[in-house]
Amino acid sequence: MSSWLHRHDLSPANAAVLLFLWFFFIAFMLYPLSYVFSGAFFTDEGFSLIFFKLMLSSSNYVAILANSVNLGLAVTLFTTLLSLPLAFLLVRYDFPGKGLLNGLILIPMVLPPFVGAIGMRQLLARFGSINLLLLEMGVIDQPIDWLGGGFWAVVLLEVLHLYPIMYLNLAAALANVDPNLEEAAKNMGASGFKLFRTVTFPLMLPGYFAGAIIVFIWAFTDLGTPLIFEYRDVIAVQIFNMVTDLHQNPMGYAFVVAVIVLTLFFFYLSKRLLGSTRYEMLGRGHVASAVTPASPSLTVLIYTVVLGISALGIIPHLGVFLTSITGRWFLSVLPSEYTFRFYSEVFSHELALLSIKNSLFLSTLSTLIDIVLGVTIAYLLARKRVPGRSVLDMLAMLPLALPGLVIAFGYVAAFSATPLDARINPVPLLVIAYAVRRLPYMVRAAYAGFQQSSVVLEEAAMNLGASPLKTLYQITFPLVFANLVAGAVLSFSFAMLEVSDSLILALKEQHYPITKAIYALLGRIADGPYIASAMGMLGLLLLAGSLFLAGRFFSRRMGELFRA
Amino acid sequence: MTSVKFDGVTKVLGESRAVDKLTLDINPGELFFLLGPSGCGKTTALRLVAGFYIPDEGGIFFDGRDQSRVPPHKRNTGMVFQNYALWPHMDVWNNVAYGLKMRHVPEDEKRKRVSRALETVQMLTYADRLPNQLSGGQQQRIALARALVIEPDVVLLDEPLSNLDAQLRLEMRAQIKEIHRKIDRTMIYVTHDQAEALSMADRIGVMRSGQIVQVGTPRQLYMRPESAFVAEFIGGTNLLPGRLEEIGDLLTVKTPAGVVHALNGVKDMARGDPVLCSVRPESVRLEPAEESGDVPPSDRINQLTGDVESIMYLGDSEQYSVRLADGALVRAVEYNPAVKKAEIGDRVVVKINAQDVVVLPQEEPDE
Repeated sequence: MSSWLHRHDLSPANAAVLLFLWFFFIAFMLYPLSYVFSGAFFTDEGFSLIFFKLMLSSSNYVAILANSVNLGLAVTLFTTLLSLPLAFLLVRYDFPGKGLLNGLILIPMVLPPFVGAIGMRQLLARFGSINLLLLEMGVIDQPIDWLGGGFWAVVLLEVLHLYPIMYLNLAAALANVDPNLEEAAKNMGASGFKLFRTVTFPLMLPGYFAGAIIVFIWAFTDLGTPLIFEYRDVIAVQIFNMVTDLHQNPMGYAFVVAVIVLTLFFFYLSKRLLGSTRYEMLGRGHVASAVTPASPSLTVLIYTVVLGISALGIIPHLGVFLTSITGRWFLSVLPSEYTFRFYSEVFSHELALLSIKNSLFLSTLSTLIDIVLGVTIAYLLARKRVPGRSVLDMLAMLPLALPGLVIAFGYVAAFSATPLDARINPVPLLVIAYAVRRLPYMVRAAYAGFQQSSVVLEEAAMNLGASPLKTLYQITFPLVFANLVAGAVLSFSFAMLEVSDSLILALKEQHYPITKAIYALLGRIADGPYIASAMGMLGLLLLAGSLFLAGRFFSRRMGELFRA
Repeated sequence: MTSVKFDGVTKVLGESRAVDKLTLDINPGELFFLLGPSGCGKTTALRLVAGFYIPDEGGIFFDGRDQSRVPPHKRNTGMVFQNYALWPHMDVWNNVAYGLKMRHVPEDEKRKRVSRALETVQMLTYADRLPNQLSGGQQQRIALARALVIEPDVVLLDEPLSNLDAQLRLEMRAQIKEIHRKIDRTMIYVTHDQAEALSMADRIGVMRSGQIVQVGTPRQLYMRPESAFVAEFIGGTNLLPGRLEEIGDLLTVKTPAGVVHALNGVKDMARGDPVLCSVRPESVRLEPAEESGDVPPSDRINQLTGDVESIMYLGDSEQYSVRLADGALVRAVEYNPAVKKAEIGDRVVVKINAQDVVVLPQEEPDE
């Protein structure tokens, strides 16, 4: 017992904090999850697999499961194909304007795909801009059904939104490959694709995996985009529809469990296939030699590729923007009249204004929670030897692998008929859901800060007579302040634009956050879609601004936030 | 066996000329050392041979064939990297076999050669380990086996022992020298450790600011340095400034502390030149001042008077620092020091033999 105590820093204060953290995770992650599991496996007569038998015997349900898996796989595949060449060109070559292109690549991240879907719908509809343009030009004489069943439209939009995350991870993985290891291979006679296949890519795999799994989970469980495209045959939409009548139809539980199981399955499958070992890179030699100046023709090629891809990525934004300033747009390629009145209406329209107020309130609260929890957890992980350290780490990172859909569904189910019942007042659960979902970013941001600032600096302060608490406030926090700001900014803006939690948890109009208001407005005729687009544009600006800010703080380490 | 020639090679890295008009001939089969302080350009020179850099000026020749623009994978050099650069995702066997795979060596010959290479470095039993399961010394030997198994024209070693502890370093010195004797291939070895270079090299090229300042056998460099830089860098020395008074059988130098006669000196120096007398600490003898008779200090030849300022006992030797009358500091090393020669504060006479003094030109101050 005493040796166990000696191995850990367990002061009464630490113990109290730990206890509180455990309570939080158990109440708001483990309990809802286990509630969902018990709902899926237990009927009134006890343990039963009846729901899963039903699910698997219905060809309709199986097709829906397959659709979602295919969606995830397709998006992962295409983001990889898009990002790999980008990462190579931008990491390995130096050319004028490199920083600018690096920024351009990240732009599509600033648009939640579900907002982009509004713009895309406008452009790709049966009598949307693209078809009308092609008809005018005489390329086609019948409008093409671009959206088809909706599957590829969803893939396209998610690829355009998610490839920056893949790019950030691949670029970081590539930059992390010790150039000496490639030089050793060249020295042994390898070059070109052979070098890439035998040495470079295997060494990138752990980094690739980290990005790929995030992209997969995101696409696999995305709710907003399929909803807007009215592509209903995916698990996310099914679950969304089942929330409202949970009590009559417990299939929802089984679907959520299926999502969790499939997520875990793909997580471990890819981890096995792609290698889970993080290679310890030994001391590094000549890092500079890995980057070579690009020849003028290569520079032109790089610009063409990056600008081309960015242009594709911006199309949905453009669609949203056009919609938001449309005075009249009927059967024409571009709007025939323009107006900015929807932007002012955002701030006068009752639902729009209310939702902005709601979102600001909810996001501010959730960000505060994230700051307190995130800094505490990161500090314990980075500086203290607390018992259950690895479990704490795992719990804090779990929301990255846990779809927002699952969390929201679990909350609705587990806390119904309690003081936290979302049907009566969703505010507490919304705040907690936002906070839990973004906690990993905050923990990572703070942890990175603690790691970068040496313990020696703190020891020096204590050596000169500062108490531990004083050291914390006067030395540690100022040193990691930039990281905290960046983490908080990201947490806040992502909370503002959180989709699945908001759609599921906020059930009455008076509690609608921005995203749910946009969704509701889209469904209304008259000027609903235009106000929704204007709100989408404002959200885009908010996210762009905060990503830019966070990027200033993190510079090249941005990729480390978006990985499993 | 392959000769390697640098012909007026310049390589600019960033702002600095890492290698500056370097001309150097390395003989076939030689174990050649590039020795110099960090930042002198020795690693850049080695990487030019491997093909990781293309010279900005001049050329690199193997046996007279211009290699300057041949890409690294076609040069057939085997390099041992400072941090070993073992691929962490391949086991020991596949690390060593990699170069043979790239050369499409048939399977059974490949197996034989990899086994032989691993045997040479006594690592055959570790064939299925991953690099991160090996100690530093073991990784080092795998890196060596990987470089040797392809039977390269030139073996390149970039500070291969710098990450090992002192004891292992001594063992590996002997092993590498033994391997060089067996395989009989040209080896270029980069280090900043003069003891490593002296103990292993056939010849050494001492580098400074991207240029070779002196090439020679270890004995030549130690006994006949041609510059104060080489004298100080290799072995450490005392440098007494003075003016060259006479050139005859002996060189006579007048220093503020007394007159020094020297047997050796760099050619093309003229009477009246400012010079430095290089005297190795181990060739300096200390004697108590009262034993040196009653000749006035300024008339004594190769005898300088001073006070003992500090003493350091190292077991096998004892180092004395003596402050001369003019303020210069002379270090003297006494080997097998059974009895203390003097105490701190004692007045002593520093005695030097003329054959132990090398007269060197005074250098212009460092830019």
